[in-house]
Amino acid sequence: MRIHPTLFITALVAILFCFAIFHVGAGAIDIPVSEVFNAIASPISEHYFIVNNFRLPRMLISMLVGASLALSGLLIQGVIRNPLASPDVLGVTSGASLAVILLAVFWPQAPLELIPPTALLGGFIATAILLFLARHLLQRPAAFALIGIALATIFSAAIDYLLTVNPLEINTSMLWLTGSVWGRNWSHIPLILPWLAVLLPCAFLLSFKLDILALGDDTATSLGISVKALRVITIIVAISLASAAVSVCGSIGFVGLVAPHLTRSMIGNRHLLLIPATALTGAILVVSADLFARVLMPPIELPAGVLTAFIGTPYFIFLLCRYKNW
Amino acid sequence: MLRIIMACLLSYTALFAHADIKVKDEMGTFSIPTAAKKIVVLEFSFVDALANLDISPVGVADDGKANSVISAIKDRIEPWTSVGTRSTPNLEIIASLKPDMIIADVERHATIYKDLQQIAPTLILKSRGESYQDNLSAVLKIGKALDQEKKMLQLIADHDKRMDAFAKEINSDKSFLFAVSSPRGVYMHSPKAYAGGVMARLGLVSAIPNETEKAYISTTLERLVKANPDYLLVGEYGDATMIDEFKKSPLWKMISTVKNATYRETDALLWSKNRGMIAAEIMAKELQSFVK
Repeated sequence: MRIHPTLFITALVAILFCFAIFHVGAGAIDIPVSEVFNAIASPISEHYFIVNNFRLPRMLISMLVGASLALSGLLIQGVIRNPLASPDVLGVTSGASLAVILLAVFWPQAPLELIPPTALLGGFIATAILLFLARHLLQRPAAFALIGIALATIFSAAIDYLLTVNPLEINTSMLWLTGSVWGRNWSHIPLILPWLAVLLPCAFLLSFKLDILALGDDTATSLGISVKALRVITIIVAISLASAAVSVCGSIGFVGLVAPHLTRSMIGNRHLLLIPATALTGAILVVSADLFARVLMPPIELPAGVLTAFIGTPYFIFLLCRYKNW
Repeated sequence: MLRIIMACLLSYTALFAHADIKVKDEMGTFSIPTAAKKIVVLEFSFVDALANLDISPVGVADDGKANSVISAIKDRIEPWTSVGTRSTPNLEIIASLKPDMIIADVERHATIYKDLQQIAPTLILKSRGESYQDNLSAVLKIGKALDQEKKMLQLIADHDKRMDAFAKEINSDKSFLFAVSSPRGVYMHSPKAYAGGVMARLGLVSAIPNETEKAYISTTLERLVKANPDYLLVGEYGDATMIDEFKKSPLWKMISTVKNATYRETDALLWSKNRGMIAAEIMAKELQSFVK
């Protein structure tokens, strides 16, 4: 099933818009859809405070995080040419989590503002280790991904160890890492928006070369592309996006894996079109996940990370069974 | 000139007439113009503190279950609106209750302190993992913040007297230990934990006196045997928990408390979640009846 790309992207924008409105309207305090715009704009509205202080920033952060993670997954899958690749697989997410937990253990009094930059740093260090260890394997994407998996496993083991030894100290950081948009506000938007603003154009610039890379390493080389440099640059762009997302919301799994597949199955393999479509799909996934996280059992808030899988998986399996073009 | 002096004087007196209530808390200084009427609290220990003053909070982060608050406290105050879990309280509901004041836990809620401050002046104190002494000083700060310091001091003094009386009654040189058991594991509460602090206040010796660094210590059966408490109280979260596995082992029978038939299962909510003066006195009463 292929849909015309313009139509598909327009449909995604429309769906995202609907979910965004629902996200701002629904919750423990219900705001009728007709009231939503009024509540955003007019300070005299009784919902102005809740909407502008809690829901609107949360919705925007969900969008930005979803788009970043999805885009990161798309780039990694494009460059590793393996349908199982995603930022989680390469150890970025667990590297970021480990850094935050180490901070909590060795410097419990650290100001909370340090958590996002620490996560970011952890993601980058994990990438640096990965690129160093796999420096001779850049021509063999599968081996590269396996080193990523091995690293992710070591990081997760270290996290489990630290959590078992210091259950209490790590509480605040853990909450940060469960993949939740709870408690995020306007002050967190500058932590992710600049990254996306810079890296999205970078992704577009890379898109033509990634299309050529899809023809195979040899063909790409004969067409004048430095495959190794392209791989390293794309991985750095992808991992920066994922690290920025993790630094704001913790690990919201699955988005980076599923969103690129969903869009590929719909509009084919041209990266120029895949990039906006995948970013929109990721944004829809996380915005809807956070919406359901808040409305399923109020006043209890569930982590959005739990729901992305619930929303994405059934559709993902459906697609995998139905279309055998991977 | 005269006018300026008058204006200065007036503003000076106005400043004094509106002297704010100020309390040092875990994030700096809490300040509020007048004592709050509508209060939202985000930990159980703060409900206990308010109940002592016969103040009913309008909202409580009760994990969605009002029964998480022990009935002795629940019966003393009016019903409240649940504001979600203690770990991720629902900010929208808190805002919709339009409170005059919020009492939050530094351990759990430091990340959302700014959001809470936007809703209402927020007093942020120790609660999770607090010791018995920490709790009393937090209780006093709540009294100050509500402009009822004198009354709170009196209540603490009364509490002290009752605890002294319990200590005299119990008067035991045996070793004691409280632990919680969930399906995931058994956690001993050290002298640093609230329950451990209550035991120490009653003059009881802890079975793990050297564990002063951490409040809650994950334990295996072997470690429990080594601690060898004369009195063991276990609060269970759930029907079938790890302690039931321990009981199947032959090692279990080697612990003094099992040999002497002084092992008791008790209310985990009371002993672990509900910290405060009311809870402490109920714990003391339970201990007294166990020892007899």
